[in-house]
Amino acid sequence: MEKNVNYDPSFAQEVFENVDAGEEIKMCMNCGVCAGSCPLRFNMDYPPRQIFQMIRLGKREEVLNAKSIMLCTSCYTCKVRCPRSIPVIDVMHGLAHYAIKQGILTRRDTANFGREFWNQVYRLGRIDEKDLPRRVFFAAGFIEGIKSTLKYLDMGLKLLLHRRMKLLPERKIKGIQSLRKMLDKAEKMGKGGAAA
Amino acid sequence: MKYFLYWGCSLEGTGANFLVSLKPACEALAMEFEEIEDWNCCGASVSYAGANDLSIKVLNARNLALAEAKGSYDIVAPCSSCYIQMIKVNHEIQEDPELLKQVNECLAEGGLSYKGGIKVRHIQDVLYNDVGVDKIKEKVIKPLNGLKVAGYVGCQSVRPYGEYDSVDKPVVQDRLLEALGAEAVPFPKKIRCCGSGIFLPEIDYCLELVKDILEDAINHGAELVSTVCPMCAMNLEMYQGRVNEKYGTDFDIPIVYLTQLMAVAFGLDMKKDAALNYNIIPPEGILQAALGH
Repeated sequence: MEKNVNYDPSFAQEVFENVDAGEEIKMCMNCGVCAGSCPLRFNMDYPPRQIFQMIRLGKREEVLNAKSIMLCTSCYTCKVRCPRSIPVIDVMHGLAHYAIKQGILTRRDTANFGREFWNQVYRLGRIDEKDLPRRVFFAAGFIEGIKSTLKYLDMGLKLLLHRRMKLLPERKIKGIQSLRKMLDKAEKMGKGGAAA
Repeated sequence: MKYFLYWGCSLEGTGANFLVSLKPACEALAMEFEEIEDWNCCGASVSYAGANDLSIKVLNARNLALAEAKGSYDIVAPCSSCYIQMIKVNHEIQEDPELLKQVNECLAEGGLSYKGGIKVRHIQDVLYNDVGVDKIKEKVIKPLNGLKVAGYVGCQSVRPYGEYDSVDKPVVQDRLLEALGAEAVPFPKKIRCCGSGIFLPEIDYCLELVKDILEDAINHGAELVSTVCPMCAMNLEMYQGRVNEKYGTDFDIPIVYLTQLMAVAFGLDMKKDAALNYNIIPPEGILQAALGH
């Protein structure tokens, strides 16, 4: 443990107020069970319990730029094992949302994948599995887009040949307009933080 | 036994073999399904990048409200991501009247409302608890004759709520496999995550997860891996070549949906009903050998 720790409540307060599930970290006792449970723990810069401690310590930039908050596979292992019943996954998602909203794209492809996914939900009400990777690939630039498309072309063709890729573009659901109204309202009412 | 069926986006595309096989296999067990009309995507596990939590809740509440307006049957969600997203908002709404109010305020913008009275269930739950292994055994006319299958559970079909199976030591899929005449091999990695929805953008990290799961299944004798999740099926099947390139392994093990094995064991058509031709790594040879053809 760090000696002479000084907690700086400013960032913690910001997290409690603006980050979805942010106030859940209050119960963290830093046991590290979440860290031990995570399938991508070896690829994280800080395990979840340390992220929570850094929030208390006021390390705003380190937390919002951490790779860890973007690496959640949503397996829920941390949530079912946390002895304090903290929904660790929800906190990580909340922090990722908050960071991305402020333009921090530490894991660019993952952030783009998630954002494009949501854009499609908003645009169509459903996911077009052909269109999504294409948009993500080309979000990284034209050359990158071509490279990635070629890299995954074999998989796309196999899926197509085995009838696991729709040929036609996905159509909008009938109630798309009313769905959008509901989502607009939720975007305004919910937490998640205004852009800085 | 009638249910609403919410199959979601993947089961019309990359997970089509799940839906194609699920329908005849479940009909054989006298299950009846009604589609939730004009359903929308559940948001899966990556929407948080673009949406706040309330938006994702409202997205799922719309499907719940559409179902509730049509009847009181339980909703069956075969895709584990659809299942978890829907059951999560349902749980949270039931525990928090204030949240239900907020969600309804948003739903009202589109002329809908939700009371919170519908139950959301996974396909394994209804097969095991409503139909039961005895009835499934009765329908088996081509038993899988001890075929060694690794029942890969993954994550979101049992976690975090543990509604019908243990979150840490799940057994339901194994019992269902055994009812079909297969031998369910034990393997510790059965509840380890495959990388799920972030597999594609984080492929460098996630290939190792797939390698570990397949290695564990094969080391425990599996000839075939079964799953109930379109992300698991996609990641475990489609990336075997990439895993082999990276780690020098030689994986070539078929990944099938539990419902495909059901259709086979029930003596239904291997193509039309079991959708085995949808699989990229062909399972027909191993299955024919087990059936004794």
